[in-house]
Amino acid sequence: MAAQPKAIPAEYPSYLKGDPISWLNTIDHKRVGVLYGVSALFFMMLGGIEALLIRIQLFEPNNTFLSAHVYNQVFTMHGTTMIFLVVMPLLLGFAANFLVPLQIGARDVAFPRLNALSFWIFLSGAVFLHMGWFWHHGGLPDAGWFGYANLTERQYTPGMAIDFWDIGLLILGVSTVMTGLNFFTTIVTMRAPGMTYMRMPMFVWSILVTSILILLAFPPLTVGLIFLFMDRFFGTHYYQAVAGATPILWQHLFWLFGHPEVYIMALPAFGMISEIIPTFSRKPLFGYPMMAYSLILIAFLSYGVWGHHMFATGMGPVADATFAITSMLIAIPTGIKIFSWIATVWGGSLKMTTAFYFALGFIVEFTIGGLSGIMHAAVPIDLQQTDSYFVVAHFHYVLFGGVMFAILGAFYYWWPKVTGRMLSEKLGKVQFWLTVIGFNGTFFPMHFLGTWGMPRRIYTYGSGMGWTFWNQFETVSAFILGFAFLLMFINMLRSLRDGEIAPADPWDARTLEWSIPSPPPAFNFVTVPSVSGRDAFWARKYGTGSHGAAAVASAGDPPNGEAEAIHMPEPSFFPIVLAAGLLLCGLGVVVAWWRLIMAGGVILFLSIIGMAFQYPTFGQHTHETEAASGGGGEDLRKVGLWAFIGSESVFFATLIATFMVYKSRSMGGPGADVLEIPLTSFSTFILLMSSLLMVLALAATQRGDKTWQRVWLAGTVLFGLIFLGDQAYEFTSLYHHGLGFTTDLFSQCFFTLVGFHGFHVFIGVVWLSVLLVVSFMDRLPKSRALSVELAGLYWHFVDIVWVVIFTLVYLMQKVKGA
Amino acid sequence: MTAEAAVHEQFEQHVHPGASVYVTVAAFLVVLTALEITVFYVQALAPVMIPLLLILSAAKFVLVAGFYMHLRYDSYVLTSIFGFALVIAAVLLISLLLLFTYLSHHLWFAVPLARILLPGH
Repeated sequence: MAAQPKAIPAEYPSYLKGDPISWLNTIDHKRVGVLYGVSALFFMMLGGIEALLIRIQLFEPNNTFLSAHVYNQVFTMHGTTMIFLVVMPLLLGFAANFLVPLQIGARDVAFPRLNALSFWIFLSGAVFLHMGWFWHHGGLPDAGWFGYANLTERQYTPGMAIDFWDIGLLILGVSTVMTGLNFFTTIVTMRAPGMTYMRMPMFVWSILVTSILILLAFPPLTVGLIFLFMDRFFGTHYYQAVAGATPILWQHLFWLFGHPEVYIMALPAFGMISEIIPTFSRKPLFGYPMMAYSLILIAFLSYGVWGHHMFATGMGPVADATFAITSMLIAIPTGIKIFSWIATVWGGSLKMTTAFYFALGFIVEFTIGGLSGIMHAAVPIDLQQTDSYFVVAHFHYVLFGGVMFAILGAFYYWWPKVTGRMLSEKLGKVQFWLTVIGFNGTFFPMHFLGTWGMPRRIYTYGSGMGWTFWNQFETVSAFILGFAFLLMFINMLRSLRDGEIAPADPWDARTLEWSIPSPPPAFNFVTVPSVSGRDAFWARKYGTGSHGAAAVASAGDPPNGEAEAIHMPEPSFFPIVLAAGLLLCGLGVVVAWWRLIMAGGVILFLSIIGMAFQYPTFGQHTHETEAASGGGGEDLRKVGLWAFIGSESVFFATLIATFMVYKSRSMGGPGADVLEIPLTSFSTFILLMSSLLMVLALAATQRGDKTWQRVWLAGTVLFGLIFLGDQAYEFTSLYHHGLGFTTDLFSQCFFTLVGFHGFHVFIGVVWLSVLLVVSFMDRLPKSRALSVELAGLYWHFVDIVWVVIFTLVYLMQKVKGA
Repeated sequence: MTAEAAVHEQFEQHVHPGASVYVTVAAFLVVLTALEITVFYVQALAPVMIPLLLILSAAKFVLVAGFYMHLRYDSYVLTSIFGFALVIAAVLLISLLLLFTYLSHHLWFAVPLARILLPGH
């Protein structure tokens, strides 16, 4: 659809302008970012209160302020809240949403409606996690933020609290993967003309790498949570030793996600620091290429270090040695970053703002956390420190001293851009010093307590343990820290009420977001900027960049310049409605109320249909204005789908790995011998031939041949249905041979793996059926061949997954498992 | 030309193969699948069944991804996205298998290493 020329108003209205309802259906990335930010600040208060409750309870020995059960709930929710509802939404939901399109010179993210949907699903998941409060058999989850099996099994933790935790994290995972997919696609396809990868701001680099981490690290957690769900609701035994399984599987799946998750939180913080330090040092970032490469290396290595969380489980000396080496290796790229930041500050013309204070504080505190992290990579030392307060000290130095200091620095740095108002620097510096005192007072003594043997997660301790003084010291310090945050909220409110009006570029900064008004207009840029070097806005202001070469960019918005046509996507209520449907479905499952599940399902289905038919126009416009000229020419929908396929590959790899580990650990049951090769060989031929029909449908569409387009599409749908029919027959037949879903480990893994594949085939059949209907409506011309190609890509992916399953599950059925 | 068509043309830079190539690939897929089933049933091939099946399966995977999913014709960016994900997926799968088998039960190189490092013990 052609973009309609639209008059640009003389004074651009801020993105903040609009009635309250417009915030519910907004799909503007800046508004979505602000929604994330406000929600995360609310949960930050909640998580902070939980932290203070923990500290009050530990203030004195044998304290009865909280019962053991309530204490377990409080520390579980403190961890879960701070990681999933505060740090990640602040970094990715708020900062990345607000800044990435501005820094790459785009008008929005690649999939604006998906972006809004991510937020509303996030909020649904956050609310869902806390719903146990409202049920008699509910309560809050109490098994720790990592929910170790088999404590989470129903016989050890009855009631609904773990159900809310399990499904709540699944919902939050969906939101996060959508966010990762969106940012990945945005950065790959929508960069301004001239903004090559090696010219991107370092914050954008960090979000690109973090998005990849999200897409590939969340599937193992999703699989682990699905297994837990099945154990609790359907009576499977994924984590029960009595059935031949092992609870250690959960730890592997959780930490396969959990350690990359540390970097999902740390890398955006690194990116923020890499923006703040050059601005206030008035120097370009030292060693830019190495900073980018070290981000990539950290991300890659982060997939190979999860075992250092599990040294105490007895993985064996070879596994221990491997994980120790990879864990020590990851210190190298991290060290590169620390030295690059210091080298950037060195010799700079420093401007000591609050944001810069926090950035410098970050370097110091994060380095302390990094050093104690290297200690944990040494197996003998780690075995002594496991489950002690030393570990609590370490990860708070990383996550608070590192990530939260960076967030606070970023908060003071970008607040003027977000709100159009300045914060009080004086109050900010008081907050900084109170934060430093409160933070170190709270967490540094935990190194001592841990070394002296104080275990983490205990709700009280005896008076003769010698731990009282430092616990009291920590509690007082924690309240100082709480007061520092109170100052931040006061500063925010004062700024919003009567803060000094912020200019477009209050810090004399370097990146493109500072080239537009504060707060920015809804469409960000009147003209899409073009970039010819790093630090594009700095080069535009000063002509010759600090890189030594003439790097003049024509970025920015000439106030009276000739504007191009601007077409922005329409707002949509579907995301909020869809998220509400998901919430109702999840709630219905936990409380076993079928009508609620049905109601939620209907809402969910209708809103998905609504979104699907509302979607297309903006994506096409985006091609015209941004992607084609700047982002390397790849279609954003294609890039998005491939990123999704990549994520799905890890999902199926996790399911297949579990099947292969468990298949010969079954106790009783008929085993793999009952699988019928002739039947599944037929299914395999059918699915392979359906792929042929699919590409023929695409070729017909590209030729503009409507008749054959319909024939081949219908054939593909038919073959998909035959495959599903075969699978239904196979399942029924296996059931009659005594192989039910919960018969043994083999059967539960088999039905889960093959069932999930079948579900994907079903989704493909629905997708292709919709295309077929559209084709019969004469709305699938040659020019929309990409729609057929996208459906085809998904279909072929389902096909190649079956190629792997057919070999590993069926043809290798006699091969002994792990 | 409509704007929509222009957009399509702009992004249809990579030429996809015609029907004859697709049918040829399908023929290869059928033959490879038939070979897989043969390997499963022929007892004489049992000792080499695992590597044979893995090779045949990988060949089918590459054919579908390369020709039907057009990775052979499309931008290297798309291949990189899928390739990196496959590497991580493979590392995950192999690591879990190893962790639950050899690495947890066998000291196959730890003992000789200890003899070298600690000769007196």
